[in-house]
Amino acid sequence: MTQDPGADSAGASGSSDGRRRYELEDVGFREVPKRWRKFYRHWGGPTDELAPNEMLCPVCKVIVRSVREFREGDRLYCMPCMTRMVVVSDGNGGLIAQVVF
Amino acid sequence: MSNIEPHALGAEAFFDEVQSFEFWFGAVEGYLTDRPFGHSSDTVDVALDDVRRDRLITTLCNYCVGETAALEGSSGLVRLAPNRNAKIFMATQVVDEARHLEVFLARLKDLGVDDAEAEIQRRANPLLLDFKDSLLELVDAGEWSSAVFAQNVILETMEFTVFRAHERTADPITAEVLRGVISDERRHFGFGENDIGRRVAQDPDLRSRLKDLRTRFDAMVVGVFDDAVGELALTGEGAPDLSRDYMDAVSRLGLGQ
Repeated sequence: MTQDPGADSAGASGSSDGRRRYELEDVGFREVPKRWRKFYRHWGGPTDELAPNEMLCPVCKVIVRSVREFREGDRLYCMPCMTRMVVVSDGNGGLIAQVVF
Repeated sequence: MSNIEPHALGAEAFFDEVQSFEFWFGAVEGYLTDRPFGHSSDTVDVALDDVRRDRLITTLCNYCVGETAALEGSSGLVRLAPNRNAKIFMATQVVDEARHLEVFLARLKDLGVDDAEAEIQRRANPLLLDFKDSLLELVDAGEWSSAVFAQNVILETMEFTVFRAHERTADPITAEVLRGVISDERRHFGFGENDIGRRVAQDPDLRSRLKDLRTRFDAMVVGVFDDAVGELALTGEGAPDLSRDYMDAVSRLGLGQ
């Protein structure tokens, strides 16, 4: 298995719902209050490989993170730009975040 | 530290959190602490040649026009805001815009500009001045949705895009100042897109009104982007597509061509 870019030092593990779970750590994103910082990171551009627990916010281009891998239909919030999103299929076997108004 | 993740919040709790002054304090503390006038005292200034310095002064003068427009616009919008969360958020934006104006004026002073007001008048882009007048007309007319669209979607997206492109090529102090401003801008255009997106979904007539407004503003936006490309010397291979974020935003709102 290749290195999972979203898994921190504690790594990813399984859970009762069959999803991988992640121990998140603050990776230097400082645009939200401290308690929320570990749920976001800066995007490194088109070559930045997203982990299964990460989604790119299409509005402000920040990476949104979760303690579990994302699945289609999941809700997620981008606090830096206040956007609500839902995970949808990208039509090519991948998942993307779509803005919900 | 709480282990609750933000995605577990209900929509109302989410907006109560992110549109609060508490959230704003916690956010700006992260990237503005120990940065008087937007940059660390450890950041070393570099000498700019005359051409680059002159271009930077013109660019900063136009940033001041944009920030003044947003400062005056958002202060008027506090009164028009339709609910308490929106009023509180707009008050945080007033503070942000005033700070942006202040840090850009301070940078102009660093560059040897003694009379910033005169310099801004001399160098201001007429298209940006037209935009400011149009925005403030909407605010004065009490048109919340149109004014938020003009200010928080069009102007803020434009600023976010230009500032990000500029930050990549700017001198170290200007770049650091811009990074702090960019972090604020995420909140501003995000608020605008979400507020307008919700309203358009509930009011089909609003969509057509905003489409008309977009048509009215498009020439100004394109002109400002074109001028920014020239001032920031962003031409050639690898030059960013400055209108992309703006086009994406209006497309998500269903206001595309």
